[in-house]
Amino acid sequence: MKQSLLAFICLILFSSCVVEPTYENSPKGNMEALWKIMDEHYCFFDEKNINWQAVKVRYEKQIDEKMNDQQLFEVLTNMLGELKDGHVNLSTGFDYGRYWKWFENYPSNFSDSLVNKYLGTDYRISSGMKYRILDDNTGYIYCETFENDFGAGNLNDILYYLAPCKGLIIDIRNNGGGLMTSAEELAARFTNDAILVGYMQHKTGTGHQDFSPLQEQILKPSKGMRWQKKVVVLTNRSVFSAANEFVKYMMQCPDVTVVGDRTGGGAGLPFSSELPNGWSVRFSACPMYDKNKQSTEFGIDPNHKIDLKDSDLKRGIDTIIEFSRNLL
Amino acid sequence: MKSWTRNNVSMRLSVLVGVLVINLIPLRAQKDTLRSDKMTTSVKMLGLGHINVLDTYLSPESYTGTDFHYLSHTTYDKIGSNISHQFVQQGSLAYLNERSLRANELFAMYLFSYGWHYNWFFMERRLNLKIGGLLQGHAGVLYNMRNSNNPIQAKLGVNLAPSAVVSCRFKVLNQSFMARYEAEVPLLGLIFSPNYGQSYYELFSNGNYDHNLVPTYIVNAPSFTQMFTIDFSLLKTTVRVGYLGIVDQSDVNHLKFHSYSHMLILGVVKTFNLIHIRP
Repeated sequence: MKQSLLAFICLILFSSCVVEPTYENSPKGNMEALWKIMDEHYCFFDEKNINWQAVKVRYEKQIDEKMNDQQLFEVLTNMLGELKDGHVNLSTGFDYGRYWKWFENYPSNFSDSLVNKYLGTDYRISSGMKYRILDDNTGYIYCETFENDFGAGNLNDILYYLAPCKGLIIDIRNNGGGLMTSAEELAARFTNDAILVGYMQHKTGTGHQDFSPLQEQILKPSKGMRWQKKVVVLTNRSVFSAANEFVKYMMQCPDVTVVGDRTGGGAGLPFSSELPNGWSVRFSACPMYDKNKQSTEFGIDPNHKIDLKDSDLKRGIDTIIEFSRNLL
Repeated sequence: MKSWTRNNVSMRLSVLVGVLVINLIPLRAQKDTLRSDKMTTSVKMLGLGHINVLDTYLSPESYTGTDFHYLSHTTYDKIGSNISHQFVQQGSLAYLNERSLRANELFAMYLFSYGWHYNWFFMERRLNLKIGGLLQGHAGVLYNMRNSNNPIQAKLGVNLAPSAVVSCRFKVLNQSFMARYEAEVPLLGLIFSPNYGQSYYELFSNGNYDHNLVPTYIVNAPSFTQMFTIDFSLLKTTVRVGYLGIVDQSDVNHLKFHSYSHMLILGVVKTFNLIHIRP
């Protein structure tokens, strides 16, 4: 009996190496490795109705063992482009594979010259945010990224300075995202109650339908200073990822209106992986949804769809900011 | 008469006290120095070797590098008893590359084990066989230096492992040696792991847990540790040199992990008996 147990343990130990199949560092090997990574980890195949197996058949024909790195990069980037996802990128030493049509094919609805005109030169800067009180006593914050951790004290200082204003404009146009926690931290200043803002899930296996149950995303009110007046959030097609989440959160907060263009989306929390040749690939891994369990991967419509008019642009007026000032 | 008797008694008492004091000094010294019946063998070692790490939560590629290792191995034997117990602590630090040398990972791990062995002695106590069990634990981190939202993997777990030790004392050219082999195989345990595609943001910011404490057994975590060493005297010091191999594996939540470490270890052995001195 003891000998059988010992033999069983030895059998298990010497036959159970936990390893991952490796692919050759060749054009074919790298293509197959990339296809498998996406096949097992990417989270929007069904949502986007993509036949990933058919994509493989189509692109493996373009692989030639004699192709150089630039040619391989082009084929692999085109293959990833089939996913139409701004969170999917192929990173190499010489280029950054991307799909940016979600904002490149649309008007920018943003002019940094106009924003600079509204900010003037005596604006304040804190935690990467530029802010000032406009001449009609409207508070204006330009937040171009969520890459920074804002810091509770800094947000208190900003809101304390803007407290006398009749209302607040938070301009996040061209904000490409950053830290989800920063988006939450800022949005938490605009609710007095814990509110349901959406749902999130993750993959639990390699299959395209292997997902965990939807988990609630609850926005808890900040323990610091909270804004109690009207707020307008300005958006355009370049509002993406964590900034897209910020808009999703803010739309559930009281007295908040979203003005501008539809956001760019990006509702899949991205993960990274890598190919045998060392190239890094990023992809959407954890899908996020709004309060009604609808995907925000393709963007969020504003409450008021307002475009920047050329005629206003020539006169030095930002149509979207002016519309928002009238709302407050 | 009375006076003589009193003086006589006083003198006798003085002599008696003097004798008692003289005798009590060594008596007190003997009682305050309590020799323990426990023998402690403490080994402090440094290791250097090759490590191969795979964690598919971070990358499908295996990373390799040099493992810098520290090992503290203490055995407690009780004279007259066949039961001994041991406490082992290990620290491992490695800077790793994948095969293209374009990316790096940092690996840091602390391991401990505590357990008991039953001892058998053969060949006039020159051969010692120990069989027992250990409670093992580990805590560590694997950090991929370029990943986005999955840059880090925390390693945390405990397990129960049968353990066996064989040691043999022998002489070569009038020089004493001791060869020692130790092996452990974790059978049952519990480890932390994110679910397959679960982000640490969901875990720690949103508090969404999903099969994050996973039972392990020999099939989903076939792991193995072995150490072969030789002890010898050098300049009044007992030196231990040998090989340490750690095969740590798991396949849970569809996430594969392995850490294969093979290294040369070198250290100093001290065997001592604790003497308790009363203040």
